[in-house]
Amino acid sequence: MARDTDAVIRRLAQSVEPVRPLPNPWIRTAAWLAVSVPYVVLVVFVMSPRPDLVAKASNGRFAIEQVAALTTGFTAALAAFASVVPGYDRRLVAVPLVPLAVWFGTLGQGCIQDWIRVGANGLVLRPDWLCLPAIVVVGAVPAVAIALMLRRGAPLTPRITAALGGLAAAGLGNFGLRLFHMQDASAMVLAWQFGAVCVLSAVAGVAGRYVFDWRSLGNGRGAAI
Amino acid sequence: MMNGDRSPNRRLANLMRAAQAGDTDSYARLFEELTPRLRRIIRRHRQSRGIDETEDLVQDVLLSVHAVRATYDPERPFMPWLLAIVRNRLVDSVRRYARHAAHEVTVEDLAVTFSDESANIHTEVHGDPDALLAAIQTLPSGQRNAIEMLKLREMSLKDAAAASGTSVGALKVATHRAMNALRKASNKF
Repeated sequence: MARDTDAVIRRLAQSVEPVRPLPNPWIRTAAWLAVSVPYVVLVVFVMSPRPDLVAKASNGRFAIEQVAALTTGFTAALAAFASVVPGYDRRLVAVPLVPLAVWFGTLGQGCIQDWIRVGANGLVLRPDWLCLPAIVVVGAVPAVAIALMLRRGAPLTPRITAALGGLAAAGLGNFGLRLFHMQDASAMVLAWQFGAVCVLSAVAGVAGRYVFDWRSLGNGRGAAI
Repeated sequence: MMNGDRSPNRRLANLMRAAQAGDTDSYARLFEELTPRLRRIIRRHRQSRGIDETEDLVQDVLLSVHAVRATYDPERPFMPWLLAIVRNRLVDSVRRYARHAAHEVTVEDLAVTFSDESANIHTEVHGDPDALLAAIQTLPSGQRNAIEMLKLREMSLKDAAAASGTSVGALKVATHRAMNALRKASNKF
């Protein structure tokens, strides 16, 4: 068998072609944002920005929720890109939990304030079937872009990588959604928007082992992004 | 080349950097330096496994390193990058082993769920791994390599083609012929 290993080494060495090393996760995240953000902006303008957007932007809670959603998307993308680089600090994978917790906490605080202000009526959930498909539409290009970019890495933790990629795209998608969708009741946002982001991330995580797999890797040729 | 690099980590990093640029000799030297280290690491972690399985794992790691060599950042240390791949492939091999072990238990249980006669026929046809391995050894080298890489080591067609230096199409033909030969041979077991 050692002779076989020598033969494998010879064949690999003979077939080696130049590759461009992948840029570090920060640069890859910036590249992903450069592709994704213009698309999200385009969708927001096609769908027409909400008429009260300027007033909402100066509303503290709305601003915190939007910054938290955007930061969740950004840090999830950074963690996803780090997770496909062997030897990279694994603790980065937990970083998106911080803005995610801030986002969840702000929505939870909003629910409590609504309950104090108007009682149980402030927590009523009505069907809002636009949220999930809208997040999917706004997050579609970011999702495809990050999936293609992540497939250039090493599939060390396929489910975690895919869940983080899904969280990045869905977080960015939800950020865009709230710029054109007039839905501000905290309970509704928590259930239909934050819930949709969590569901999409979980679905991506389940699909991860089919998308990121050692067997699907080529021999590492081609330009890297 | 790179004789002045005394630190093994630095030397390996330089060899990999040259390999990323397409330097065949550096790539071969890198793998030659890595192979004994990989054998030591794998034997330490999988003491109960035989020499063949150790070599299979060494080759698996080398192929994985080859597939993801673009993820190595020449500015970062080489060994943590390599060890992360080794750990991942070791964990995968443990999972594969567990799956195969679970499969073997299922075969043993066949007599409980089917009549003895059916279970015995099933065992007679497929249940002699030694005879199967012997039959594989009698195959022409091209077909034997194809079976070993694609069926036993579960490599992808692309990886196997890269490792064997043949085309994907040729591998498919070799595998098809090998399977036919093994099917015929299995009737004689």
